[in-house]
Order: sequence, then C-alpha cells, then structure tokens
Amino acid sequence: MTTYQLHLTVNEHPVVATVEPHLTLLEFLRDTLGLTGTKEGCSTGHCGACTVVADGDPISPCLMLAAEADGRDILTVEGLGANGELHPIQAAFVTKGGLQCGFCTSGMLLAALTLLKSNPQPAEAEIRRSLAGNLCRCTGYQKIIEAVQQAAEEMNHGR
Amino acid sequence: MAAKKWIGQPLPRIDAEEKVRGQAIFAADIKLPRMLVGKFLPSPHPHAEILAIDTSQAEALPGVQAVITAADIPAEVVYNPASRFHGFLARPFVVFVGQAVAAVAADDLATAEAALELIEVTYRLLPVVNSFAEALRPDAEPVIHGQATAVSGGTAHTQVIITEDSSTGAEEEPDQSPNVADANTFSYGDVEAAFAGSDAIVEYTYTVPTVHQGYIEPHAVTAHWDRPDHVIVWECVQGAFAARNLIAETLGLPHGKITLNSTEIGGGFGGKGEGIFAPLAVLLAKKAGRPVQLVLTRQEELIGANPAPRSLIRLKAGARQDGTLTAVEADILVDAGAFPTGWIMSNITATLRDNYRFQAWHLRGREILTNKASVTAYRAPGAPNLSFAMESHIDELARRLGIDPMTFRQQNVIREGDLLTNKELQSPIGAEEVLKALAQHPSWTKPVPKRTTAAGLLHGRGLALGSWAGGTGPAGALAILDAGGQFRIVLGTVDLSGSFTSLAQIAADALGASFDQVVISKASPDFAPFAPMSAGSQTIYAMGAAVKEAALDLRAKMIRYVAQDFQVPESELSVDQDGVFMVAQPSNRLSFDTLFQLGTQWFAEYGPLVGQGSAPQRQRAPGYAACLAEVTVDPRTGKTTVDHLVVAQDVGKAINPLAVEGQIQGGVTQSISIALWEELLYDEAGQVRNPSLLDYRMPTARDVPAIETIIVEAPGGDGPFGAKLVGEPPMVPAVAAVANAVTAAIGVRVCDLPITPERVWRAIHSADSED
Repeated sequence: MTTYQLHLTVNEHPVVATVEPHLTLLEFLRDTLGLTGTKEGCSTGHCGACTVVADGDPISPCLMLAAEADGRDILTVEGLGANGELHPIQAAFVTKGGLQCGFCTSGMLLAALTLLKSNPQPAEAEIRRSLAGNLCRCTGYQKIIEAVQQAAEEMNHGR
Repeated sequence: MAAKKWIGQPLPRIDAEEKVRGQAIFAADIKLPRMLVGKFLPSPHPHAEILAIDTSQAEALPGVQAVITAADIPAEVVYNPASRFHGFLARPFVVFVGQAVAAVAADDLATAEAALELIEVTYRLLPVVNSFAEALRPDAEPVIHGQATAVSGGTAHTQVIITEDSSTGAEEEPDQSPNVADANTFSYGDVEAAFAGSDAIVEYTYTVPTVHQGYIEPHAVTAHWDRPDHVIVWECVQGAFAARNLIAETLGLPHGKITLNSTEIGGGFGGKGEGIFAPLAVLLAKKAGRPVQLVLTRQEELIGANPAPRSLIRLKAGARQDGTLTAVEADILVDAGAFPTGWIMSNITATLRDNYRFQAWHLRGREILTNKASVTAYRAPGAPNLSFAMESHIDELARRLGIDPMTFRQQNVIREGDLLTNKELQSPIGAEEVLKALAQHPSWTKPVPKRTTAAGLLHGRGLALGSWAGGTGPAGALAILDAGGQFRIVLGTVDLSGSFTSLAQIAADALGASFDQVVISKASPDFAPFAPMSAGSQTIYAMGAAVKEAALDLRAKMIRYVAQDFQVPESELSVDQDGVFMVAQPSNRLSFDTLFQLGTQWFAEYGPLVGQGSAPQRQRAPGYAACLAEVTVDPRTGKTTVDHLVVAQDVGKAINPLAVEGQIQGGVTQSISIALWEELLYDEAGQVRNPSLLDYRMPTARDVPAIETIIVEAPGGDGPFGAKLVGEPPMVPAVAAVANAVTAAIGVRVCDLPITPERVWRAIHSADSED
C-alpha cells in the first residue's frame, strides 16, 4: 500500500510520520499521536466535537485525511495554555460552568479561541453563530456563552 | 452539627480542569497493549429469521482475530427473547434494523470493516410490524419469538409504584394482538357523571415521535480477559452495578468474575444505563485472546441504540365554569420498539393526571411492540410525552372557559395529601411555589404581547407545569480518613451531571471540614458498596444521603476517639477544618492528619477511621418545574423562534446553584428541542431515514434562547440537607410551554410533535379555510 510521509506541526512541536492514505487526521491525532483530548462524536463533520485549529482556522479533522495535513500547523486542546497554566478560555469554562460532561468541550474551546482571535469583543449573537458548528447536549449553551464572554474580557485586559 | 459552609455555594466542577485540558479519560480513550478493534454487523432488515451465517471468508481475512455469532454465546445461558439485553446478538430472529447479527475483532478499523462485508447471512424475511395499527391487529406478526423467561428492565428509573393494574376488570376488550407487551388501566370515580356535569370538554389526540437522547459521546466499551475466567471492562455507563449485572446475565458469568470500570461518560440522559453493547466486546475479547474495543458510530447510535419512545395519547378532559376540573379519560399507546421496557408506559399512564385534582379518571395505557430499535429512558422517561398532552389540554380548557391559564392551574394543581392515581397520597411538593414564582415574574405580569406585529410576525406566550418523581436509592458509601488529613469518599456511582462536586460539598458540611479536604474516589463494584444507577435524578438525593451518613459516621468516630484521648465527654468536642477540638478551648485539638497517624501507627489504640453510609430507600420527593415560553412565529414560513424562556424549579435545597442552573438550562433545551425539532423518522420498511446529526436535528447555540432560571427551595422528602432531585424535572414542562405559546400565537393547536414549520403553516391555513 502507498504510504505518505507527513511533516506538520502539532501543538508547536514538529511531527514527522508515515501514514496510510485512508487515515483521517482525527485518527492520526488520537491513535497515532495519542492526543485523545480531541473527541470523535460523529465522524461526519456535524457535531464539532473533534474541532481543532489548523493554520488559525477551526476544522473537523474527521473530514480531513492525515495526508492533507502535510505542512499544516495544528493546535489541539492539549496545546492550549502555557507552562501548565490554563488558557483564559479554559479558565472561564471552569469558573462559569461552561462544561458538564466535557465531551464537546475541547472542540468548543478551540472554536471559541478562533472566534476571539478574529473578533476580540463578540456580541452574544456572534458567539452563538460562531459556536453553531459545535453541538453540546448538556448545557443548553448558556453557560458556554457566558464563559466565552468572560474569556473575551480577560483576554482584552491582557492586551 | 457544624454550621453549613459549602452547601449552597456555586463551586466549579471538581473534574472541570482535567476536562478543559483534554485529560479526562473517556471510554474510547482507553488504550491497551495489543488491543483490537471490534465492529458488529448490523441487520439490514427490520424483521427476519437468520437461516445461516457464513463467517469463513471473514475469518480468513488477514488481520481478523475473531468472529462471533450467537453460536458463541455459552450454551448454558438462559435466553430471554423478550430482553433487549439478551438480544445483543440476534438468535435467530432479527427484530429491528441495526441489531447485531455477528461481530468481528481485527487489528484495525479498516480490516474490521472489510471483514464485516465478507460475512454472508441468509435471511428469511418476515412481515414488518411498523405502526400501532399494524401491531394491534389480532393476526399481527409477533415481534417477540418465543416465551419471555424473566422480567427484564425495571431499572432505577422506575418512578411509580403500581398498586393497581386492573386491566381485567375494565370494560375494554382485551387485546388479541401478540404485540401488546403491557397494559394498565386506572379508574376512579364516576367518569360519565363527571363529564355530564362539565361546562367544557376538550378532546385531542397528541403524538410525540421517537427521539434520541443525543449524548455527544457514542457508546464505547473495552474488554480484557486478564485471566481465563476473569474479564475487566471499561465502559461509559450510568450504572456500573447494572452494567455488571447485564454482562453476568447475558453471558452467564459470575459477578465476581467481572470487573466493571465506569469511565468518564460523555452524556447519557438515560440512554447509557446498562451499556447494551458490552457483551459483544467481552465475547470478542474472549475468542481473540486479546483486548477488544468497540466504539459505536453515530449512525449505529441513531439506528440501533435505544431512543426514547414514540407515543400517542388520546385525551378527553372536562371542567366546570367555576374552574373545577371534572373528569379525564385517556387512551395511551407507547411504541417500545422490539423489546418491552417494563415501565415507561406504566409511568405515563399512572402519572398522566397526577399534577391536577380531577374528580374521576379512566386511564388506559398499552405498550406496543414494533420492529424498530427498542427504546429506553430519556431524562424523565415518558414525562415530556404526557406533559405535552395534559398541559396542552389544561390550556385549552382554560381558554374555552375564559379563565387565565395561571389561575386555572393554581386552582387545580395537586397538593400534599391528594390522592394519586396509584392510590398513594401526594408527598410534600413545591408545585404551588413554582407556579407562584412565575405568576410574579415580569414576563408573566407584563401585558400579553400583541399577537401580530407590524411585520406580520405572530407572538405568543405559553405556560406549563411539569413534574418527575424520580429515583430514591438505596445507596452505600464509605468515608475514609486518609493520610494528610484528607477525607476520601469511596462510592460506586457515576458522575453524570456534576454530582461528585455536590457530593463533596455534602461530605464537607457533614464532617465540618473544608471542601478542599474531601476527595471523591469513584470505585468499581469490586471496591465500592452498592450504588444505584445515575438516573432518576437520584444521585444527590439518594447517594447524597449515603455520603452524608458515611461522613457523619466518620465524624462521630473521630470525636469518640478524641474524647477518649482527651478524657472529656464527646459533647464537649466539635470539628472544623483544622481538626477535632474542645469547644471550650479551641486550641486544644487534634488535626485530621494526627488522627490518621494515631489510627495507623504501631500499637494504635484505635484502628484506621472509616465511616459507613448505608442509606435505605428515600421517601418520594417529586420535583416540580414550571415554564414560561415566549415565541415568534412567521406565518409565511411557519417557522417558530423561541425568544425567551423562564423556568422555575423546586429543588428543595440547591447544593450547588451553578450545577443546578446548568441542569435546568440543559434539560429545558432538550425539552424545547422535542417540541420543535427532533424526530427519528422511520420509513414503511422500518429503516431510519435520518441517521446523521445533519438530518437528526439537535439544537445549536443559535437555536436556543437565553434561559432564565428561578431556583425555588420548598421543603419535602428526606434528602441530604433538604435537597430534592434536580436533573429531570426541567425536561418536562418546556415542551408544552412552547406548544402553548405557538397555539397562542397562531390561534390553532398543533397536536403532533415536532411543531415543524410545515405543520404550523398547514395549521394556520387549515384554520383559515375552516373559518
């Protein structure tokens, strides 16, 4: 079977790997690299649970082949925060109750991160629109919205 | 007892940090050496007899390590053809699309999928029972083949004690169909006379479709035989003890030979009670001699994994001009799918009228079998179905009598001591309090919004009441004084809803210690005393009682030993976060760590300190929630938007208001979604037409409004520190509140859920043509 050699960056670390052509980026992250913080909820791009950031944009790695990630810069939940400290978005989800079961959380955090990078002071409707690709079944979204609002405030203070 | 310090505080979840870091281990995150991938072959037919299965080609495929069929189930297991648990592999009849026919374990997913395609199954197709009408025909094809050997089901969800099952004495013709799995009739008073004395009588038929629990994490299970006769299972389930029972019962294994580790669980909502797929992984791992992990796809979930039941409720109810409710008559059909639930229909039938005082009733319920995926619990099982019917009806009676719907409800609402359908008397409840909370709310006291706006949009406001009686234990827990002065609460329950945080708050206040000194240690049934399933909203109510008892027992033991040491009466001692101390002289104290050291060193005068909590069944403490919904309907498209929602819920005592609010908001959102969006669609041939999250429409952040929560704390029950159940009541009233708001907006009632734009548009236009 043909294999592909990949060079990519995952959570700021260079990664070199040889993969089979059918392997999805999600399988590569979870099974090959063991980064199981990224969750699989549907494998069809509808639930958003597996959302990671690729070159600054939120993507569904269940819909991308690992081979297509060659040369890309990927951020997963494990790469959020620095020096053991929580990223302000993570901290806000904790204090505002923005998670319950936690299964959608890593995707939700990364979707929120890309929103706040492009729009540091989003209105509630903008937050709701930006997170509409990420299903949560536990919270009714309200505390997630509040967490993103708090994170926005804190990140703006830090500017 | 120490002053309360931690109960009532909105503390973040104790597991929040590992979850936002992506470090919490969910069931599909378990990785074992030499672990194989398991997959099952789903039946493409809703009803068929398996004549032959040829697995030889699949077995020959390189990378395939095991293939199993029903022939691999130990012969000594007593098979119950009426149990979904036993139906984990079809033998030899398949009774719904998606039922497993065979399963494989292979080196990787691609090989496992390839192997499934090589399995050749010869089916003899049977007539499909796909509707109530079809199922109820006297000559209907039976869905169950063979005699039930035991009553299965009857889990911790069970809400109602059925004291009367008088189906034989009633005037109904007994059903001749083989597909009526269960029937209940409850009669009281003179129904005909009560109707005759009514000034308004309303009759409607309400349908609620099959919906899915929609947990974002699919079922996942890993099995590993570490000894020839002992298996370790990691699984996302709501009940570890129940999951162990299921494996023991279906595979004939002694309980002691199964170690059941419940992992983090990515939502359950009733749908992951016992974990119906574990026997496949356990059998595959046995045959392959290697660990096997089985993770469902979303498609497999939506097609075959135990959704919530469809129901049809034909309801007739009357009231007098003075607002007194008179009689209610109901005919209830619940579609259980291919296996009986044993209780969901009974719950619906026996509680349909229980929120209101009626003078007479005749309620008949039947649970019907069809060739569809068997159903199970979904957050307050059956209650949204019955509440949609009853609360729509209450609104309609109020409208016809010209009485304000709030006043009408407040006049007729059930109260403590009133007779329930099951002949018990109602417990102390907060029903009047939650209605009052909404009656005083600005969203209710402001003038009714003008129905039509300048833009042609229609506005409406709707009210509904809902309740859930919930589970009541029993439960056990241990409280252990550990090194460093930590208190370790050992329990066998599953943290489904943030309950471990609240349990730690309960333990801290019962001990008199600090929240930070309490560690919740979840243990498998190998190590923990019995815990009920995390279901029926009973974790805080019942498990909390056990935790409190264990903590109080440990506190008493600490005080006893310090009293001996200090040679003072126990009554002169108390506990704070720095240890056990003399009340008159607080500097005279022993720290928790010192107490641990004294109880564990050589020549210790007392042994290690362990508190025991063994709480019996709790009293019933039904939870009530009332909901007010404001909607906008666009009559051109029929689209409904929920603009605002207020919900008031009696929780007895909010142990953790942050968690309580989250539970209310989440439950209400699922309830709105049943009203407006969700439906598993089956075609005539019994196939699910929308088995993806694109086509099975769960709400996104854009679909739901801000939800305003009002926490009401009314006394009742015997839960820890006054707590009642929380998780399920908010699931109940929002369905009807939204439906009543839509009716207020468009002037016509849509009695079939979900209230889709098409149904709204048609309702508006059919009303126009009738006018």
